[in-house]
Amino acid sequence: MSYSKQARGSFESVSERIPEGVKVYLPVLPVTALVGLFILYPIAQAIYSSFFNKDLLAPSEAEFVGLANYAEIWSNPTIHQVLWNTLIWVVVGSSAAIVLGFLMGWLLHEKLPYTSVASAIVLIPWVLPRVVGASIWQFMFGGSQGIINELLVQLGVIDEYIVMLGSTELSLWPPIIGMIWRLAPLFALLTLTSLQGIDEHLYEAARMDGATPWEQFRFITIPMMRYNLAIGFLLMLIYNIRNFSMIWVMTKGGPGVSSSTLPVMIYRTAFVDFDVGLASALSLILFVVLLVFSYYYIQVYDQVRGDV
Amino acid sequence: MAAQDPDPAAEFRRNESWLFDTTAGAYVRKTAVSLLTLVVFAFVLFPLYWMVVTAFKTTAEIQQIPPTVYPNDFSLEGFRLVVESSIQAGGYTSLFANLFGWQASSAIDIDILSLVLNSLKVAVGAGAIALVLGTAASYVLSRRDFVGKNALMSIFLASLMFPGTAIMVPEWELVSALGLFNTHLVLIFIYGAMTAPFVVWLMKGFFDDFPDSIIEASRIDQCSSIETFWYVIVPMARNSLIASFIFAFLLAWNELVFALTLLDNSRYTVPPGLLTFVQGFNTQWNVVAAASIIISLPVLLGLAYIQRYFVQGLTGGAIKG
Repeated sequence: MSYSKQARGSFESVSERIPEGVKVYLPVLPVTALVGLFILYPIAQAIYSSFFNKDLLAPSEAEFVGLANYAEIWSNPTIHQVLWNTLIWVVVGSSAAIVLGFLMGWLLHEKLPYTSVASAIVLIPWVLPRVVGASIWQFMFGGSQGIINELLVQLGVIDEYIVMLGSTELSLWPPIIGMIWRLAPLFALLTLTSLQGIDEHLYEAARMDGATPWEQFRFITIPMMRYNLAIGFLLMLIYNIRNFSMIWVMTKGGPGVSSSTLPVMIYRTAFVDFDVGLASALSLILFVVLLVFSYYYIQVYDQVRGDV
Repeated sequence: MAAQDPDPAAEFRRNESWLFDTTAGAYVRKTAVSLLTLVVFAFVLFPLYWMVVTAFKTTAEIQQIPPTVYPNDFSLEGFRLVVESSIQAGGYTSLFANLFGWQASSAIDIDILSLVLNSLKVAVGAGAIALVLGTAASYVLSRRDFVGKNALMSIFLASLMFPGTAIMVPEWELVSALGLFNTHLVLIFIYGAMTAPFVVWLMKGFFDDFPDSIIEASRIDQCSSIETFWYVIVPMARNSLIASFIFAFLLAWNELVFALTLLDNSRYTVPPGLLTFVQGFNTQWNVVAAASIIISLPVLLGLAYIQRYFVQGLTGGAIKG
């Protein structure tokens, strides 16, 4: 940030009458108002609603119940299962996407003839409309014609076709696999971009000094990539925990709540059971978790900015 | 350089010449990398392949067990059903019958044309709002210091993390209170609010790197600050602006949660429309796949354009490609 007072001075001829201190805020105001009304205000509204017993279809008959909705979350085993599912999603889904994505990014960094084409194609799962990606996986995992059943039979893993999306034990996993498919390419691209950003001379210098490939990886690659990897890591957590479409399209969170995570449960509580109060309390949990992730995201972000 | 190099192997590596290296080790490495690449990318590509081949199968063939790996009867039935259904639902049946003597009759019900038009309307509107408001704010945020600036930037960054599932219930209440339920306008605002902070960060990164000397020069040429912005900076920012717009457009094109909760099915955009169709007709997978391909095309075209900016955009400029 090194512009002189004079350079700043060149932007001040729109209207002499508006005081300088106010004028700076004018261009910032519309976007702040938009974000405030449609993103920040709803959060406040959720906090408020979470203290009420409120029906979606009769919001005027809301009744103040204090912390009853939170007590319900504390004691309801169905919600506990949902929270547990959410944890599995975030831990398994994120780590698998990170490992696979890192590997993919690494492979794309190899200078082989097909890598430039591959790095374009690899993004398709991420940009494809979410419903499209999810419905392909639904079809592949689905009942009687699913290719994955056939694949597993051919590989000798199972003897005959099994029900996966409709099974209480298995239904959590197909959407996670679909989500890994969607997110790994994203992490691959972040990895690839970071690898490309590392100065080749560093490796050259290290080799001159007799560093082994492992030492080069450990002492050059990883430190140079650490912020980018941290951002990628947080993005994976955030995208996994707030995912709705992959689950909703494939299983609707069922059977029961066997494949529901927090967002799906919020949707079902509010728009199927019409219980706005409980849904708001659940939203608050999701919101707090996202807030923590965002905090670290901003921290890392500031580090990146500081270093550049 | 090479002549002074004490270690010929180092020179070899510098040129990435293991590709042409004839030693056994290099072959092993190359083969291992290629095989691994094949396995990993099979996982990425197979679902896409499966969507495409399914779209070209006949209705009879998609119900075969075990499924066929590629279409035995290459067929456009899926696409035909999608198009005919749109013609029917749009009320153009008699028009087509009169013009071409061809009676459209589709057993399925997906009005993809109106879904696409609704989505286009919402996505273009959201892109425009995000671009105009975001760019204006980012310019000031980059060039000026004022109280609350850092807090504002942090709030914008954090707000990128929340949208969708964390606020769908209060958003529904807000929209009902505003009397904007089941309007495309409110989706334009919400998607605009979801993507404008993104544009702020992306464009602020651009303006931070913008040389002061150019602005100096235009000031000496008697440009007002608005003229400078419009005639000097905007043309130079063209690529970043287009990328910002496409990001906002893609988000609006793909978003499911708000479209599902804030619209009735008569006004659905593509994602909830396709979802309803998938859940209603999930034996007609060739039609679903055909419809999926049709609605994915704009996204793939956009991707080809913004690939260079993708990482930068995704992280609000935190990682530069």
